[in-house]
Amino acid sequence: MLPTYLTLMLLFPLLGGLACAVAGRKLPRALVEVLACATVWGSFACAVLAAAAYTGPQVITLTDWFASFDLSVPFSLYLDPLSLSMTVMIGFVCGLIHVYSVFYMREDEDYARYFALLNLFVFAMLTLVLGETLPLLYLGWEGVGFCSYLLIGFWYSDSENADAGRKAFITTRIGDVALMIALAWLFQLFGTLSITKVNGMGFLMPGSVITMLGILFLIAAMGKSAQMPLMVWLPDAMAGPTPVSAMIHAATMVTAGVYLLARLLPLIGSSQAALAAIAVTGGVTAFYGATCALAQRDLKRVLAYSTISQIGYMMLGVGAGAVTAATFHLLVHAFFKALLFLGAGCVIAAMHHEQDIYKMGGLRRSLPLTFWSFLAGAACLAGIPLTGGFFSKDSILLAVWLKGGVLYQALYLLGLLTALITAYYSFRLVFLVFAGGNGQVHRSSGLTVMELVLVPLAILGLLGGLLDLPAYLGGGYLSAFFEGLPAGDLLKVSHEQEIAMQILAGAMALLGLLTAYFRYGKGRADRMREAQAQPSVLISFLSQGWYFDKLYHLVLIRPYQACADFLWERVDRGVIDASVDGLGSGIGGAGRLLGRWSTGKVAVYLISFAAGGALILGYLAWLAL
Amino acid sequence: MSVPLSHVLIVASLMFAMGLGCVVAWRANVIMMLIGIEIMLNAVMLTFVGGSAHWGIADGQLFSLMLMALTSAEVSLALAMVVYLHRRKNTVNTDQFDSMKG
Repeated sequence: MLPTYLTLMLLFPLLGGLACAVAGRKLPRALVEVLACATVWGSFACAVLAAAAYTGPQVITLTDWFASFDLSVPFSLYLDPLSLSMTVMIGFVCGLIHVYSVFYMREDEDYARYFALLNLFVFAMLTLVLGETLPLLYLGWEGVGFCSYLLIGFWYSDSENADAGRKAFITTRIGDVALMIALAWLFQLFGTLSITKVNGMGFLMPGSVITMLGILFLIAAMGKSAQMPLMVWLPDAMAGPTPVSAMIHAATMVTAGVYLLARLLPLIGSSQAALAAIAVTGGVTAFYGATCALAQRDLKRVLAYSTISQIGYMMLGVGAGAVTAATFHLLVHAFFKALLFLGAGCVIAAMHHEQDIYKMGGLRRSLPLTFWSFLAGAACLAGIPLTGGFFSKDSILLAVWLKGGVLYQALYLLGLLTALITAYYSFRLVFLVFAGGNGQVHRSSGLTVMELVLVPLAILGLLGGLLDLPAYLGGGYLSAFFEGLPAGDLLKVSHEQEIAMQILAGAMALLGLLTAYFRYGKGRADRMREAQAQPSVLISFLSQGWYFDKLYHLVLIRPYQACADFLWERVDRGVIDASVDGLGSGIGGAGRLLGRWSTGKVAVYLISFAAGGALILGYLAWLAL
Repeated sequence: MSVPLSHVLIVASLMFAMGLGCVVAWRANVIMMLIGIEIMLNAVMLTFVGGSAHWGIADGQLFSLMLMALTSAEVSLALAMVVYLHRRKNTVNTDQFDSMKG
């Protein structure tokens, strides 16, 4: 039964997407909406059935895809705890986002394109997750990139949005080049592109090769998961509709990099250097994202930077070799970040598309359901003790600490500091948006349904900790589930130490909460006044994302433009076009010159004839002599 | 054969050159040009006859007979054209007839 479930899981969103794309404009709106939602929920149902029928890791070959010489790539899927948990999460979160989208996009005329892309996005992500061969994974990898490009630039008539889409596409493509190189190299080294086979053959290669492969995969993940230094696209990607942000930035695309590294950890995990590079990237990005989120004024950009930061945590976990912890955080993060984005969508819809958090306030009373759900999401994000985010973040920090060594201990401290900042900015958001005075909102009929979607996500986010409770509370379900994985690792740690570290992390979160309360809860009016003034140097440094955009503009884009201008003006137009044009006009001129010879006068022809005859005669005479 | 071929050829080429000179020099007059062309054709005929006598083959003689027929036909046509042209433009100067300009 398993192959049927997996095939249907992939086929549902694909067919839904195709149907919407081909016939969506002809069909009645309600039908398209129902179709788009039903296919994703069908896919989720298949994922649940597959989970129920799951007995152990299994490779399912559906059919041959292509084979030539010694390269053969079958169309095969791999179901193991990692991919199974991902598919269930993707199906569920994307299903909710689809339902939410129906109401969020009520006003938009272009629903057919929207739902087609959304469905295709789910299909591509599931292909990525389930693919057993790397080319199949790459297909899904590119598919989500393509769909995200179209969805981020969904309102393409505004050139800023279209630019954001292009930026996302091009930046992630830099990482994809590294992935392509890694795939070609892997095939050259091992003669196969099957993930399960490659994972078991790492020991055949010298450490330096594995390190290089690890770095290449890391670069690929940097692009897709918006890690330093390829993170610049993600804040701009907020240009798309909010449900799209929730989908791309919470549940699917940006986690693909983490998933790739977790998937290939048995191969690259033997290289300490590669692991360290992954961990450092993750740790630094987590810190970077959190600091940037501190100074943002746009509601969605705060969440975007927080996504960068949280994915950084996951990378840190993978870098510490803790696939379980990283996946745990990935799953819980998907719930609470989708919740935060969708909550933000409710706020934005109710505020007439106002996104500046300094212009909000008082929504606690006018949007109570959104408020409580958003509060739950923020508590998870901040890692307030006993929420899902607390346990998952803590298990990553714990794994980093247990890894030992100066580097990892420094990263642990950085992670702890980031946790403090995270708690601070999460509650800054809550206080600015929901606390305080006037809360005039505009309620539409769809808003209630949109708010109801938040509830299951809030429950899942808050109770997400149950997925993988720490050992002293009876041990985790996820840890046991992942135990059989090649890289699945049970952390061996005494209960006292674990409790001590969780108290430390919890204290950090509460400290951040308290600071935010005093600064933005009690001193809200002062902050509002300050926001009117010119921002300080530090604030603008942080709100501009450490000026990375400007740096790239200076280092990459400006020289590129200068080079392109030179090649266009001087080389293309100055040399190539000019020489071709010159040749043409030269021949034309010569033709006109010769044309003047044909005067129509018999005499001229006769003289020409005589002269020609004389020339021929002269030539013959010269030959004869 | 009392006269060597080279002499015949020299005379023929002189005649041809003179005919050509006539055509080029008197181009203001179509009739003079026709006369020049006739002289050039005569030079060609002389060459044919000389060659025929030299190699003892009758082909050249035949060609000269055909040329005579050709020239008489040509002259009758050409004179008719001269009359026609003169009627149109009231002149026989060839430089006036340039409507076939390329």
